[in-house]
Amino acid sequence: MFDFLIHVLIMCCLYSMLALSLNLQVGFGGLMNFGQIALFGCGAYGAALAYKYDLGFASGILIAVGLSAFVSWAFAGIGRNLQSDYWGIATLALAEVVRIIVTNEGWLTGGAQGISGIKPLLPELSGRSQQLGNLAICGAVLLVALLACMRLTRSRYGLGLKLMREEPQLAQSVGYDIMSLKRGCMIFSGFIAAAAGFIFAHYITFVGPDQMFSSETFLIWAMIVIGGLGNHFGAVFGAFLLQFIFAFIPFVKDMLGLPTEFVAAMRLVLIGGGLIGFILWRRTGLFPEKVGGRADG
Amino acid sequence: MAEPVLKISGVAKSYGANQVLKDINLEVGAQEIVGLLGPNGCGKSTLLNLSSGFARADAGSIIFGGHDITAWGVERIAQAGLVRTFQLPSMPHRMTVAEVLRAADSRGVQFKTMFAPDRSSMQEVDALLEGLSLSHVRNLPAGSLSGGQKKLLSIALALRTNPKLICLDEPTAGVHPNLRHSMVQLLRRVSERGIALLIVEHDMHFIRELCSRCVVLDRGEVIANCVPASLTSNERVVEAYLGSARDKGAIA
Repeated sequence: MFDFLIHVLIMCCLYSMLALSLNLQVGFGGLMNFGQIALFGCGAYGAALAYKYDLGFASGILIAVGLSAFVSWAFAGIGRNLQSDYWGIATLALAEVVRIIVTNEGWLTGGAQGISGIKPLLPELSGRSQQLGNLAICGAVLLVALLACMRLTRSRYGLGLKLMREEPQLAQSVGYDIMSLKRGCMIFSGFIAAAAGFIFAHYITFVGPDQMFSSETFLIWAMIVIGGLGNHFGAVFGAFLLQFIFAFIPFVKDMLGLPTEFVAAMRLVLIGGGLIGFILWRRTGLFPEKVGGRADG
Repeated sequence: MAEPVLKISGVAKSYGANQVLKDINLEVGAQEIVGLLGPNGCGKSTLLNLSSGFARADAGSIIFGGHDITAWGVERIAQAGLVRTFQLPSMPHRMTVAEVLRAADSRGVQFKTMFAPDRSSMQEVDALLEGLSLSHVRNLPAGSLSGGQKKLLSIALALRTNPKLICLDEPTAGVHPNLRHSMVQLLRRVSERGIALLIVEHDMHFIRELCSRCVVLDRGEVIANCVPASLTSNERVVEAYLGSARDKGAIA
């Protein structure tokens, strides 16, 4: 049970990073990104490609950073004149394109089989101490990401992002370059998502295109909508909440003597239901954005 | 005359078959307050859009502060010191008035300064709010202000960008008469700081009180360029606003 709990906590930390990253785009920049999972994939494949071609850990980081910067830049640039909702559709399509390329370019990415056997983060440790080490790494990276996000949204850059989110024309008329704000926000948040993917690849030791389905993006969306758009703690809380609920659904199933299909179905119901429920009845989420003040907004 | 801060020469603009502006020439001197008048649909707002980069001129050139800004984008023009306000300013609901004012100074905000702490001077923001009698709404969401307050705030935002010229789109439309008076005073003070103003306005009283010169547009052409006092004696202006004597006869 203890090992399982550690595993759940590690996944909580990784999803928190993805949620923080998406929240920076949607909650602060108003960028309706439906292709978040592609940025996660950049990190995961960075690690996987470095392993496959025996390039070493540091090159893996470089590949992950390069890939995510390129994909984020493409996201920001795609349909630069599109309105936010149409841009959202374009990001969904772009993420699917990335997944299909990964699936089909087997010579490079291992295709649908993926790449397995990736070295763990702490190969010298084993068993429980390795798991605890992994958790410590995930926790530390999450903390750094959280602090960086908080610092960013408190800076003038963050104020510019918020102005762009609600009044892009006004932001432009006082001299903000909307495209550069968008690009900066996407690239920085792309790094956080890629970091989560990179650690995930080393933790699970396997990377495949199945990890990049768009349903994962909607799971991250559910986390930030439930946690609270425009609130960093809300995003982290949403990620922890959903991950814990998901982890304990199988136990509920056993208790109630329900069939195995119940687990997958219940997860979908929770994501969809949570999204609809919060959008209809509590749009600000569990932790609403703080307008003014010095809190995390 | 000293070099004008804004020089519009031979500017034309069409939307499809509709020619909105034909060969417009207009100058605004440094520190000058120029009124831009004309009946609805005469092209005033279009001229403001062209100058501030929200639309592109089909022909002619717009020189601002010695640079040809005809093909520049909105943000580049704003950074160079030409800012505009909107007729119906819309303000964010999830930012306070003080935050919007802090954000309005966009200079130096780039990718590399992403994490630099916000060093905007709160004293400057507070002084600006004080000057506009908006101190009491400092911590309210900017979107919750009244129409008149939003107009004042949009002028404050323009001032935060350290402009050389502010183009105002109907600053007194829908504004209470009391606030209108303080608007005149505010704009005078702005002008005393060495900032030129180009004001699109329908309110003749306001124009007379404030402007040293006014330019009247009608059907996309400049029909008068004179001091406000001589407007009423200008036949073409009277005709543009009230219709010709023959039209009046027809109506009668």
